[in-house]
Amino acid sequence: MVVTPPAADARDPRAMADEDLMHLVAAADPQAFEVLYERHSGPAFSLAYRMVGTRNAAEDVVQEAFLNLWRSGGRYDRARGSVRTWVLGIVHHRAIDALRRSSVHEKRRTGDDEIAERLEAPERTDVQAARSEEAVVVREAMETLPAEQAQVVELAYFGGFSHSEIADILSMPIGTVKGRMRLALEKLRSRLSGGAVGEMTA
Amino acid sequence: MSAHDPRFDDLAPAYLLGALEPHEAEAFTAHLDGCDACREQLVHLKPATDALPHGVPQVEAPPALKGRIMAVVQAEAELLRAAGDAADRPAPAPAPARRSWLPGWLGRPAFALAAVLVVLVAGAVAGVAVSGSGSGTRSVVAQTAPKGSAVRLLVRHADGHSTLTATGLPGAGADRVYQVWLRKGDGDPRPTNALFTPDNGGSASVDVPGDVDGQDVLVTSEPSGGSRTPTTKPIIAVSTA
Repeated sequence: MVVTPPAADARDPRAMADEDLMHLVAAADPQAFEVLYERHSGPAFSLAYRMVGTRNAAEDVVQEAFLNLWRSGGRYDRARGSVRTWVLGIVHHRAIDALRRSSVHEKRRTGDDEIAERLEAPERTDVQAARSEEAVVVREAMETLPAEQAQVVELAYFGGFSHSEIADILSMPIGTVKGRMRLALEKLRSRLSGGAVGEMTA
Repeated sequence: MSAHDPRFDDLAPAYLLGALEPHEAEAFTAHLDGCDACREQLVHLKPATDALPHGVPQVEAPPALKGRIMAVVQAEAELLRAAGDAADRPAPAPAPARRSWLPGWLGRPAFALAAVLVVLVAGAVAGVAVSGSGSGTRSVVAQTAPKGSAVRLLVRHADGHSTLTATGLPGAGADRVYQVWLRKGDGDPRPTNALFTPDNGGSASVDVPGDVDGQDVLVTSEPSGGSRTPTTKPIIAVSTA
């Protein structure tokens, strides 16, 4: 990607689009980074918290992810999607690493109880149910999945388990796991047609 | 031509969900170069996993977190500014060999951060070439670093004082610590009292005592409290020569 940074001192970073701020971050501009952090830290922390389950661990994940963005911002390519999608991808990745590294992950109970817990997050007073249009679309799409498909999405995407670990947990062949993953994503994809969720927010 | 290899059947969904082991993900991304079927499946299904984070309950990030992150960012920006090349830093080299249809985050730290290391090398080499006025700071990328990490040494011209910064480091191990050594040429590594462990996220920043110019900076894993001579092979090596 050829980086021609806009004249930074001529524009207020808060008025700039994410993609343009990424150019400035690639040139090590902390004010541009700060604006990106403010815009995306909420969804980033929310995803991390959903996955790792504690505030402290979620903070570590978010810090890692944003420092990674700061240090490698030149790699962002807008042809690949929005900055938010990119940030959330980094967060997801770091959270999976954290889950796989922690001993909690190894001791995690398997079986229906734990999976049931994972599928029904308890109400938390400090948590605001996502009410945005895209959140409603995604939640409804997840609810249309057959239970066995929702299960593998939960275990893989949010739980950080590998496909072979899921095959062990659910006592089924790995081919079945992969098939359910494919069916789940195909079903979600078809529910989301007509404007990709995640690209709605620039 | 791109014949689909059945060993890679239906790995795209697992890859997108983050459910492949690192070595599997690497093999899969390598396979993608030559396989239209897998690439098309990936591109088709990626919007589904892109959407998943949008359905989670929204929680505000703790305000104190921003301060901690900005402190690191400001410090690094300052060092780069002092190197004199931050404002017109050359464009980073493109990530090696992967086409634009891949997800922005290539899915596995070993691969994606190796690409970042290439970017840092290009930037650091340009930085070293540009800064020659005798003042300021230069950034040297580690020649040896653990797979999936990004490690560099920021060296102040004036006095050779340096700081080693890293992301993506594995833990040092139970009751163990990383120790920094200095080595001149082929001599024995000399211990420093710079001992550190990465945070939970694998990040670390440590001041290297003394003047590093003309020396190598090495890091080994040692028992808690450090050692007089290295007991393990260096996991990090930075040459300032």
